[in-house]
Amino acid sequence: MKQAHCIYQNDDHRWLAIARDASKPGYLIDTNEYVVMDGEQALLCDPGGIEIFPAVFSALSAECDPTTLAGIFASHQDPDIISSLALWLEFKPDLKCYTSWLWQSFLPHFGGSESTFVPIPDPGMTIRLGSLELQAIPAHYLHSSGNHHLYDPKAKILFSGDVGAALLPPDQGGLYVEDFTRHIRHAEGFHKRWMGSDRAKRDWCERVSRLDIDMMVPQHGAIYQGADVQRFINWFAALEVGVLRG
Amino acid sequence: MNAPEKLKTPSRSASELTCIVRVNEEIKSIVATAFRINLMALNAIFLAKRAGNAALGFGVLSNELRRFAQDLTHHMASLRDMTSGSVGSVTGVVQQQRNSAILLQAIRLSGDGVPGVREARKRGAQRLAEQHGRLRALDLRLRAAVEETQQLVELGGVLARSAKIEAAYGGSFSPALMQVSTDFAEVIAQIKRSLEVLGKERLVKD
Repeated sequence: MKQAHCIYQNDDHRWLAIARDASKPGYLIDTNEYVVMDGEQALLCDPGGIEIFPAVFSALSAECDPTTLAGIFASHQDPDIISSLALWLEFKPDLKCYTSWLWQSFLPHFGGSESTFVPIPDPGMTIRLGSLELQAIPAHYLHSSGNHHLYDPKAKILFSGDVGAALLPPDQGGLYVEDFTRHIRHAEGFHKRWMGSDRAKRDWCERVSRLDIDMMVPQHGAIYQGADVQRFINWFAALEVGVLRG
Repeated sequence: MNAPEKLKTPSRSASELTCIVRVNEEIKSIVATAFRINLMALNAIFLAKRAGNAALGFGVLSNELRRFAQDLTHHMASLRDMTSGSVGSVTGVVQQQRNSAILLQAIRLSGDGVPGVREARKRGAQRLAEQHGRLRALDLRLRAAVEETQQLVELGGVLARSAKIEAAYGGSFSPALMQVSTDFAEVIAQIKRSLEVLGKERLVKD
């Protein structure tokens, strides 16, 4: 069963990771959901698919008041990212969904109306949450053609969507990356196949290297901390992407 | 979480969708038959013209049967519009039921006392009731339209019987006219059977 773990706290400013669900059916890809909280407001990052909604809702409710959810950040349009949208809106109809403008007319197929969506322009934007100024930063073509990550400069946390994802075996269920070399083997195939543009990848690596990051939190797999963040960026920069095999 | 568990929840709306499919199939069959009557009536008009004075009455009735076929086609078109609209309503009910069931599962997992859940369930139940209400109204309209069509078909039956009587006065054309009027009676009986089936279908189960 999914559980919410507090991965950062500074007074009312918190990050929760709802990560690694060993009890989910095997045919569903495992996903991580993250909640950014500041005071009486919360933002849910990549809330996941319909099938895992009860587990995510329950884990979130155990740690925070779900009525404080002010918005949802969808890094891109995939079903494992945002197909639960209608259910979150069922619970809270006035939720705002921040997503790339590219998906503004696609995501309503999962739920929501015109007033639900806040389109993020290609260069990104600032999302205000309580006293926080979160930065939606562009990550287009990594892997989706309209893709953003979310950077919290105060907590120094980068929510990196599918970048950094690793399809880990069940015996590696830890929340954080413990052995980078061992871990990255499970990320290699995923990044080679899913990340389609070498140019976009190099651009992302250059921009993200300039950010002050303590934790990089992906949508699949374990969380990178400290030196492992730059280690990952260097590894990714050198990786050949957009290939079927090899 | 055991995901397939949700799929075991009885889906009344799935059978409602099946019902709409059955209704549409009956409508299609009636429309095809109405097209056949139209062609038959056209042939009957030509036959009556060839028969001359002896088949004047038969010619008038054939014209009326042709008009009947056109009216029937219009009736069936409006019935089809209604069932198309009901697909949207049934789908709305299916989605709402699915969302409510998953939300209920989430609430059960979370335990009592999670803020906002009571309001969310109330809103969901209200939306479901509204969608059921719309479906019920559509069902009533559909039944009224079927009854109206049944009356029209009764008139078609009378016209077919009268055509049979007129055929008897058709002189040397009498056997041919009799054959045509018997065909009319048969296809109208077929439409009556289809309408009886339609009349028994319910978009909303009580």
